[in-house]
Amino acid sequence: MELEIKREKIVLRAGTQKFEWHIEPRYWRNPFIYIGILLLATVLVYFFSPQTLPTLVEANLLAAIAIPLGWMTVGTGRMNFGPQFYIGAGGYAAALCSIHLGWPPAVTLLVTLVVGLVFGLLMSPLSIIAGGLYYTLLTLLFPLVFLEITFIYTDIFKGDTGLSGIAPFLSGGSYTGNQLMICLLSLFIMLIYMFIVDKIMRSKFSASLAAINDDEEVAEAMGVNVKKIKIISFAIPAMMIAVIGWFYAHYYTTLSGISYLPLSFMLKVLMVSMIGGRVQIYGNVVGGYFIAFMELFLISVIGDMATVMFPVILLILLLSLPEGLFGLYRKRRYREYLPTLHVRR
Amino acid sequence: MTEILRVNGVSKHFGGLMAVNDVSFSINAGETLGLMGPNGAGKTTLVNLITGKYLADSGNVQFMGHDITRMSPYKRCKLGISRTYQIPRPFPELTALMSVAVSALYGKDRVNQGLEDAATEATHYLEFCGLFSKRNVLGKDLTLYELRGLELARALATTPKVIFVDEVMAGLNPGEAVKAVRLLERAKEEFGVTILWIEHVMAALMKAAQRVVVLHYGKKIAEGPPQDIANDPYVIECYLGSCHA
Repeated sequence: MELEIKREKIVLRAGTQKFEWHIEPRYWRNPFIYIGILLLATVLVYFFSPQTLPTLVEANLLAAIAIPLGWMTVGTGRMNFGPQFYIGAGGYAAALCSIHLGWPPAVTLLVTLVVGLVFGLLMSPLSIIAGGLYYTLLTLLFPLVFLEITFIYTDIFKGDTGLSGIAPFLSGGSYTGNQLMICLLSLFIMLIYMFIVDKIMRSKFSASLAAINDDEEVAEAMGVNVKKIKIISFAIPAMMIAVIGWFYAHYYTTLSGISYLPLSFMLKVLMVSMIGGRVQIYGNVVGGYFIAFMELFLISVIGDMATVMFPVILLILLLSLPEGLFGLYRKRRYREYLPTLHVRR
Repeated sequence: MTEILRVNGVSKHFGGLMAVNDVSFSINAGETLGLMGPNGAGKTTLVNLITGKYLADSGNVQFMGHDITRMSPYKRCKLGISRTYQIPRPFPELTALMSVAVSALYGKDRVNQGLEDAATEATHYLEFCGLFSKRNVLGKDLTLYELRGLELARALATTPKVIFVDEVMAGLNPGEAVKAVRLLERAKEEFGVTILWIEHVMAALMKAAQRVVVLHYGKKIAEGPPQDIANDPYVIECYLGSCHA
């Protein structure tokens, strides 16, 4: 194995394999700086305001839901209004396995991945069959139907009291220390998601996603296997979102559908997407932190009325910033989902 | 000349409307075949049946020995069938370069082709269509003439054997229309493609097409060299009314 560090790239050679990592010369676009800032912020919060750590966890998780949702939105050419359905599916799968079978979080994660993928695959034909308002209504409806099911089968899902006794991520040790580790785990999940989706959005696969998002009929006429790409872009993000359900279950050690399945939770995720800018991966991180801290602020100022304020804020955002915060930046540049390729003659 | 595409008794109805009724014809390799007919004659529906947007109710379509009647549009594209649209349908949020790169990437299976390779190939087609300077302009910001060029570049980037050109002159001024026709002729020469050209403008087809197929109310009413079609009394009646026939 040989590592070569050049000015513009890092080259790793392992046998016949060669891996290249290009260093972004524009420092403000270097992801390592932002990863460093997020890590530093987490550590600083731990030392100076440990009670804020759960807010950081919430921010990371909101961003981690919005990032795959962005992929799903572009890849299917439709906005899914029910990502919380997969949170519920993943969360309940993990919780039930943990309570009834005594499985630790590492094992329930595998179950969640399988359950998320299966539900994603089962639901993915929707993105082919249904379009427009029908797709919106159906995706909006599924979490609510699931919520009803949790009330009907109370012996399994325990209704609005929810399941309790789920194995925590960490037992023993100091509370704030555990909170820090959990916060770092949520940050790790979010960064992993960002890395995966960013890689996809920069690959040749993204060209087909962008074409489907713009006009799926023309994309198919140009040789894109629209159905396959839609199923992949639906099922894998669904699985990624389901992992967040697993995280919630083991983080709070209780899980009730009423916390995640209603529209109010979806509204928060939607706002994260709107603030960051639709399908802007980095924007979703900004959106996640903005919403988590705004919720904290609103609850401290207006209490329960905070839930009422969210739709109002969303409406204002839709009118004033239709392309989100990143839209302001992109107005000066070409507005597209892919990096513009400049080819010289 | 070898036959490249054969349409055998294809029919399609929408509810009570018979859009295409038992139409049969063939296209030879390297030929330009004109497809004409009054508005609502079923020309675009027929192209949609061949390119796979619609599935035929009866009949079949053979392309280079393959029965493509029930094949998905993307598979037909990979076999070598491409098209442009009557009303241009660009990818509005993609630049011209990326729009063509999508076709270069997915039009035909190529080994180890990356996004950058496809973009480099796309520049060739953009330059051919005179759009190289517009490569970084979004689809939604292009003019109608540029969109026609982009559609052709996108179709050519799939490395087709047959291109279905749907009313390329619609909405263009006379100067632009002449340029568009020249572009098609050059495409045929340089890339050796076969063209099925839907057109209302008879003068353009008279020059460019070797044969013309005429549709009326979904039925084929005439087929032959352009001069014969122009003098066919029934075609004249369908276009201009019985007093001109």
